[in-house]
Amino acid sequence: MARAIRSNTRLDLIVLTICIVLALAARALPNTMRDPVATGIRRTFLAPLVMLQERSERGRQSLLLADFKQASIDSLSLNSMKAGSLESENDRLRKIIGLGSRLRWGFIPTEALHGRGVRDETTVILSAGSRAGVSRLSPVIAPEGLVGVVDQVDPTMSHAMLWTHPDFRVSAMSPDGTAFGIAQAHLTGSATGGYLIELRGVPFRATLKPGALIVSSGWGGVWPRGIPIGTVLEEMKTSEGWARTYLLRPAVNPADVYSVMILRRDRLAKGFDGVWQNVAQVDQATQRIIVSGDSAARAAALAEGAARRAVLDSVARSNGGVPLGVTDSAKAPAVVAPVVRRPPVDTAAARARRDSAGRDTIRRDSVRTDTIPHRPGAAR
Amino acid sequence: MNVGAAVRAIISFLIFVVLHYTLRPLLGWRAPMDFLILALLLAAVRVRPATAAVIGFVLGLISDSLAPDALGAGAIAMTVVGFGASYLKAVFFADNLVLNAFFFFLGKWVFDILYFIGEQRVHGFELLQQLLLWSPLSAAVTAAVGVLLLFIMRPLLEPTPT
Repeated sequence: MARAIRSNTRLDLIVLTICIVLALAARALPNTMRDPVATGIRRTFLAPLVMLQERSERGRQSLLLADFKQASIDSLSLNSMKAGSLESENDRLRKIIGLGSRLRWGFIPTEALHGRGVRDETTVILSAGSRAGVSRLSPVIAPEGLVGVVDQVDPTMSHAMLWTHPDFRVSAMSPDGTAFGIAQAHLTGSATGGYLIELRGVPFRATLKPGALIVSSGWGGVWPRGIPIGTVLEEMKTSEGWARTYLLRPAVNPADVYSVMILRRDRLAKGFDGVWQNVAQVDQATQRIIVSGDSAARAAALAEGAARRAVLDSVARSNGGVPLGVTDSAKAPAVVAPVVRRPPVDTAAARARRDSAGRDTIRRDSVRTDTIPHRPGAAR
Repeated sequence: MNVGAAVRAIISFLIFVVLHYTLRPLLGWRAPMDFLILALLLAAVRVRPATAAVIGFVLGLISDSLAPDALGAGAIAMTVVGFGASYLKAVFFADNLVLNAFFFFLGKWVFDILYFIGEQRVHGFELLQQLLLWSPLSAAVTAAVGVLLLFIMRPLLEPTPT
């Protein structure tokens, strides 16, 4: 028994010695031999474990970066949420700058601070006061048009009455001066009533079409002439038989008023010719450019179509067939489908389209005669 | 040890080895637990010292292959630890969690001492700091995790009643 134990112990020691010698040998291997051995073990026995370790380390990196990534995503989300408001703010500021450049002098740019709740926008606080040159009854305008009038002035701020205020009145007219009236807020108590304007006292002989622009008339000494107030929506039915009342869509929505301009009293006397007309002119010019671009594109398309038809006709004639453009059914074979010409539609849009299509450049007759040689005996 | 016990021991051994290459890098602690040492110690107490030495040698060589510059250092350390654990199993591996924890702690610390001395990469104060600060911390963590796993895997590790 004791002998067996001694034998086993000796065997254990021998194995231990062998293992240690092998380990020392591995430790003493030169680099040129050590690397292939390690690589061989890594690529065989250890390969699945190395793969697991890589995934774990990647998972750890993901966990460590999770907060940073979440913060980045949050920042991006926040920025994207701000982007819309920044765009609209940029748009407003551009308009303000444009108005400022047209006014040139005599205005005070300021911020309108809405102090109370929704649906109660009849007054605003302006961040400019008497120190900046604001005085009582100074008009407040926005790039789109009339906003209100200053009714109280402090040294550093002022209080303005918006056009939605029940006491607000402004003398108004159509730009051509054919219709005059008094514009005031449309107070019906309905959900949208507070955001519309009534044009009262328009002479019965003067009619205004929906969409017509209404501007300030300059009478009364507070408002200069020519500031847009709104556009006509419809005529209102009232009990007054001697005058008409129109409902206007306001040029300025009081809820969207943030950056405005206060006109100084000394500027009012100099007039505002061309300040808002320029805006209309720019719009008209833009419309003209768009229309002319459409016309040019349409003319080019028609010319290309005519040229294609001419080529097809030439090919058909050279092959002994009848050109597609020929409409004489007596001479044309039945298999050739005649070109169906649509009857002219005599509408304003069609006329405008015909006018803008460039009649000079596309003439079927001229195209046909220029490109299709005349054959003796062929029907003309 | 019958076949069932051997199979369960092998499964436990493999679980520890897999944990070493998954949980340990996932946690990434400065004083990490060493599941390979736990696997070696749990195997060593179930086999003869010679077998434990061979297991330690193979396990050490495999782990060294990830750091070719230290090839052999881990093999020496694990061979010694495995042989020692198997030789001293009657003393240490009693059915006592505290003794087991001490066994794990001692095994890991001895391994680190042998490994860092054999590796010869760290010298001087840094070596002392490693052996007297980080290695004991790592050994303590290893011991705690080992005891926890022993508790969890008790049905798998307990000897089958005959």
